[in-house]
Amino acid sequence: MTSAVMVEEKVVYERPESLADVATHYCPGCTHGIAHRIVAEVLDELGVRDRTIGVSPVGCAVLAYKYFNTDGAEAAHGRAPAMATGIKRVMPDHVVFTYQGDGDLAAIGIAEIIHAATRGENITTIFVNNAIYGMTGGQMAPTTLIGQETTSSPGGRSQTLTGFPVRMAELMAGITGSAYIARRSLHNVKEINTAKRAIKTAFLAQLNGLGFSMVELLSTCPTNWKVSPAEALAWVESDMVPYYPLGDYKVAEEVKPLMKRR
Amino acid sequence: MREFIDGAEAIVRGALDAGCDFFAGYPITPATPILLHMVRELPKIDGVAIQAEDEIASMGFCIGAAMTGCRVLTATSGPGISLYSENIGLAIMGEVPLVIINVQRMGPSTGGATTTAQGDIQFMRWGMSGGYPVIVLSPTNVLECYSLTRRAFNLAERFRVPVFLATDKETVATRTTVNISAYEQVPVRERTLTAAEAEFIPYHVAQPDEVPPMSPYGGPHVVRFTSSSHNERGYLTKNPADVEGLNRHLVAKIDEHVDEITLVMTDIQPGAETLIVSYGLTARAALEAAELARAAGHAVSTLVIYSLWPVPEAAIRAALDGVRRVLVAELNLGQYRREIERLVRDDQQVIGVHRVDGQLISPHDILQKGELL
Repeated sequence: MTSAVMVEEKVVYERPESLADVATHYCPGCTHGIAHRIVAEVLDELGVRDRTIGVSPVGCAVLAYKYFNTDGAEAAHGRAPAMATGIKRVMPDHVVFTYQGDGDLAAIGIAEIIHAATRGENITTIFVNNAIYGMTGGQMAPTTLIGQETTSSPGGRSQTLTGFPVRMAELMAGITGSAYIARRSLHNVKEINTAKRAIKTAFLAQLNGLGFSMVELLSTCPTNWKVSPAEALAWVESDMVPYYPLGDYKVAEEVKPLMKRR
Repeated sequence: MREFIDGAEAIVRGALDAGCDFFAGYPITPATPILLHMVRELPKIDGVAIQAEDEIASMGFCIGAAMTGCRVLTATSGPGISLYSENIGLAIMGEVPLVIINVQRMGPSTGGATTTAQGDIQFMRWGMSGGYPVIVLSPTNVLECYSLTRRAFNLAERFRVPVFLATDKETVATRTTVNISAYEQVPVRERTLTAAEAEFIPYHVAQPDEVPPMSPYGGPHVVRFTSSSHNERGYLTKNPADVEGLNRHLVAKIDEHVDEITLVMTDIQPGAETLIVSYGLTARAALEAAELARAAGHAVSTLVIYSLWPVPEAAIRAALDGVRRVLVAELNLGQYRREIERLVRDDQQVIGVHRVDGQLISPHDILQKGELL
């Protein structure tokens, strides 16, 4: 007779409650899924899921309102911060965030994001920068690097024709109403963990009523970059990070204690 | 020679053959292929093609370039037309010739980005403050994408007004075999300019329906341009006579020349009691429905309208003559039917054939609604 050995199983990894249990439409190797997950983990850890409203963009994350297990909306292209403002002004006790790509936030929606910050709007923005328009088929984004080939910059982006890639974190850091502005990357586990801490700081800034917060996340688009997922991660590190340095660009005095708390 | 192309390529070819040398736009499904073709093609002929930061800026680029003398094209879809609206109003006010391709998709809002529709028919005409007219042409197939784009450029120059090409996702994105020799060659109408030695009074017209000649920025004259109500010299004014003169002119220059713009195709059958009216993509189903009905022994006439705005009332009335009922087929809930309804006699019945489920209207849909099976 054999004796059964009871091994206690311990859950070490599961779907955050703030992430809906549905398959996403994202391409293989795209880092949107990671971005979604760490945002959801932060919402869980802060215990705010049931009082959070997420506003999605038009772009690849157009269906984010379906993937976050929170109240959600899809705004018109570029206008997520405007819609978020309306929600937050009426419900200041709720947590309101926008989740936007580089076309949505840095091209068509640049006025809305800048004015959300100038108002010190107490919302959080997750800005996914993958240097290309994904959903419409790989056109040049405001964040496309010089020389980067896209369908609308054949032969590579030319600075004389279409100017320079916009550094949003630096731009937003210069705005007085910004409380916390950071840029992180999703190209390896260490950076993902660092990104998650920044996202937590951003939401804590909102929960403490300190003003506008934004975390820019350098992300991949293997499909439209026409490389493998592994090559895409390597390209973020080798080409994007040098132009878009990682770090905290604006930390208001009142935000600093929130970063030490953990 | 035959080739296998889609509507986007035909539009771009038509634009280039019409002398287009400037394009600005913003990526939007299903109009993006036109942007991509122009970004590739225009630099080859020293033209300029720019992807702007949004549609508002795109139309601003276009107006600026048109005022320098360029022949200007842009392309978008419904949500982009929403953002163009402010600057289209500016182009109407400043009498700026330009061509706007509207690759219609299902609305409202983002709607169905890859779903075809004909939902912007009234929006293109009435989507700007003040309600002043534009011209709207609508091709039914790839060949007409070419010829009507060329006509659109000519009409823009003739009337100094924004001209829409109302296409749709299916027409622009579906490849078709076409015979190159079948492209209708439309002579290029050059811009009418004020002679260098003549005095330039930018908005002077002797009669309200006249179109004033232009003078480009950087040319022989000082050129001023305003979004406000202005007198003939282009200066802002509140003088009632000047304001009224301007506003009546903006209407008269189009409305008194509908015959120059009218483009329809009629196929009248003797004794037909039914007329099928259609435009754009849906015309293809309507013409096929008519053939099937005739084969089944029904006398049926057809009217395909290529020039939707201004409404070709005389041509529509002529086609209505003698029929008892009118079938209007369109991928919306009756937008152009309204125009037909105001033109019929009391004893003529108008029946709409409409779909807004994202599917195309089939010949069968028309036959069934018209009890022609």
